[in-house]
Amino acid sequence: MYKLLLSWRYLRTRFIALASVVSVTLGVATLIVVNSVMAGFITEMHARLHGILSDVEIAAPGLGVIYHPEYHIHEIKQVLGDDLEQLTAVVRVPALMHFEVNGFPMTQQILLIGIDDQSFGQVTDFHPFLMNTNHRKKLSFELQADGYDESLGVCGWEHRRMIAAWNEEANLQYERLVQMNRQSAPVPQDLTGVIELPKLPQVIKTIDEFDEINASTAGAPPMRDAFDRHLPGPTIDQIFDARRDQHTGIVLGIAISSRKYKDPETGENMESFMIRPGDDVYITLPTAGANPNAVRENCTVVDFYSSKMHEYDSTFAFMPLSKMQRLRGMIQPETGMTSVSAIQIKLKPGTKLDVARDKLQARFPPFETGYVIQTWQDTQRPLLSAVNLELTILNILLFLIIAVAGFGILATFYMIVVEKTKDIGILKSLGAPSGGVMSIFLTYGLSLGTVGTGVGIVLGLLFVLYINDIATLLGYLSGREIFDPTIYYFDSIPTIVNPWMVVGVAIGAMLIAVLASVLPALRAARMHPVKALRYE
Amino acid sequence: MNEAHVRIMNTSRESDIRRHPLRVNHPSILTTVDLHKSFYKGKIEIPVLRGVDLSLPEKKIISIVGQSGSGKSTLLHLLGTLDEPDRGEIWFRDKRIDNAPRRERDKLRNQKIGMIFQFYHLLPELTTLENVLVPRMIEQGVFGYFRKRSKFIARAKEILELVGLSHRIQHRPNQLSGGEMQRTAIARALISCPMLLLADEPTGNLDRKNGDEVMKTLIRLNREEGITVVIVTHDESVACRADRIVRLEEGKVVEIEPGELAETD
Repeated sequence: MYKLLLSWRYLRTRFIALASVVSVTLGVATLIVVNSVMAGFITEMHARLHGILSDVEIAAPGLGVIYHPEYHIHEIKQVLGDDLEQLTAVVRVPALMHFEVNGFPMTQQILLIGIDDQSFGQVTDFHPFLMNTNHRKKLSFELQADGYDESLGVCGWEHRRMIAAWNEEANLQYERLVQMNRQSAPVPQDLTGVIELPKLPQVIKTIDEFDEINASTAGAPPMRDAFDRHLPGPTIDQIFDARRDQHTGIVLGIAISSRKYKDPETGENMESFMIRPGDDVYITLPTAGANPNAVRENCTVVDFYSSKMHEYDSTFAFMPLSKMQRLRGMIQPETGMTSVSAIQIKLKPGTKLDVARDKLQARFPPFETGYVIQTWQDTQRPLLSAVNLELTILNILLFLIIAVAGFGILATFYMIVVEKTKDIGILKSLGAPSGGVMSIFLTYGLSLGTVGTGVGIVLGLLFVLYINDIATLLGYLSGREIFDPTIYYFDSIPTIVNPWMVVGVAIGAMLIAVLASVLPALRAARMHPVKALRYE
Repeated sequence: MNEAHVRIMNTSRESDIRRHPLRVNHPSILTTVDLHKSFYKGKIEIPVLRGVDLSLPEKKIISIVGQSGSGKSTLLHLLGTLDEPDRGEIWFRDKRIDNAPRRERDKLRNQKIGMIFQFYHLLPELTTLENVLVPRMIEQGVFGYFRKRSKFIARAKEILELVGLSHRIQHRPNQLSGGEMQRTAIARALISCPMLLLADEPTGNLDRKNGDEVMKTLIRLNREEGITVVIVTHDESVACRADRIVRLEEGKVVEIEPGELAETD
């Protein structure tokens, strides 16, 4: 009882000891904040990294191909058995994308990925990252009239029609200009009246409109019929009309065509789009085989892919698998046998990825087949291990801070024990056993550790809770933005508080506080009562 | 405790009891046999006690006088088991205590022997009442103390009343006068109802009036409660109020009559 009473009284009357605990508090708070932010960051990063990567992938090296994917899929099913959830084949190839921005031609390098719109979304977390809600439910490479994210502005069919109308209007203006140019040109005298410039026809937007106009002219056969009946080649519905038709659908990584910038007036983070869903682009890609040719395909952007991983968002573009196989000549004309770049595999939840990978490696030995068989963690190992190393080192450094605090406690306690020498003698003369005297100071250390840790936990959790406000405030005070979303592609600093981490940090800090008080407590316990009583 | 100690305890217990010098004749509460104690200043041995044979009769007041440095306090510390003699034996009733296990001696100090010091030795962080209760807190565990708390507090207040401090129970030692602090120390020594009170210069730091108060309290305790009181002092006016006076000279005790004091000093 006297132990508790005296520890409590020492706690209340020795403020210098509380000062030494401030370092414990700061250490604990920092550890919690750093771990929470790192955990949030890593979790977010894992989700994004894993988003587009399947659990395990069998890929042909480089730009090579896997022939006869059906056979491989059959074999994979045999090898993995019940662990297999779903698999899908993809074609991957670097390509060039051409587009126009305000009439200026631009070319950008992309990684074109041919995906199966059915199975790809079941193997990877592809759908949640699409910007169109309809595509999120069911992926199709068709331009949508609605469902696009508001941040994109006007897009989809509305945008496409607007652009088409604009293009037509522009062509019209161009014609007019040419005409005016001709009129104002010095024309030879004798030709006057010989050449009659044609009257500008009424702008007809679609064939159907033409028919509507013509319908007023009694007896005239509909243009459509005339086309269909008399013209060789495609029917009128097959003639490409930008208002009604789209080219091959393509899903672009959002950062390929957008730039993030800060509005100089409002200071807000803005995103400007050079291309929107509904625009047309041209893709140039190499055919498969040892002697590749460049093939060109008109495509219509149907959606954006926004994983918030800049590496992915700025390079990936997705196209229907079969279309790409046709373009690249990956279907043998004689047999109809296809080839793919990689087969992506999703495993049942709880399956060990490494084990599955090893099984597949045993079935398709890399040195025979040349295939690269990797889990998603293997693929991103350099990044993941770098982040893990960072976290480990940070934790070590921060625990060293708490250890420094421990030495502070040690020194303070030692002084308190010296100061309390006489009290120790008194207690011993009153029959207090050495163990009891020792536990006074151990309890004291534990209470200080508990106070420091408790305050540290509260401070740390509050900091984590308001971290974005604090970052804003610090940015405001320092004049430099602490967390720049244009760099990280996170809107705010992600945090995850793992209760076990908090418990671990708390136990560690208290342990250090107690350990630091052991030496002074031992000194107190070993004091000879008579010498202690005579101490001045 | 070393091996030799254990062996002595095991082999010589019976003979110890047989050799007990005053076992039959006097009902003494504390007996010492040939106590030796030296201190070391570097490597130089300074003998302080050189064979003290002393027997403290029960329910008496005994004064130990002597010049400063004669070993009075050392003897008292040995009697209170705060220190261990180099040689010799100390018996509490018919139990040898100088070589008893530490735990047993702690218990003895806590429950059977009360101690009072010249400099009061109160704990500055605690109030008068808490200071008085400390021995009880040491004796009991946390739960035991809480269970009997009200009883202990009532007893402590009773004792504080006895020493005339009932109006000071919530004060800290630094708010008390010297006499009050010493009376608090006496109350603390009494809380466990000891049979023996060892007082080391109890009036040494007090003026005559306060010293007188303290002495009166000690004498009253002896008369009313039957507690044996040992007072170490160099003040003859204090010493001569005892039933029996011994003087420490050259490391040995000399029995003197109360009347002799003036002549020998």
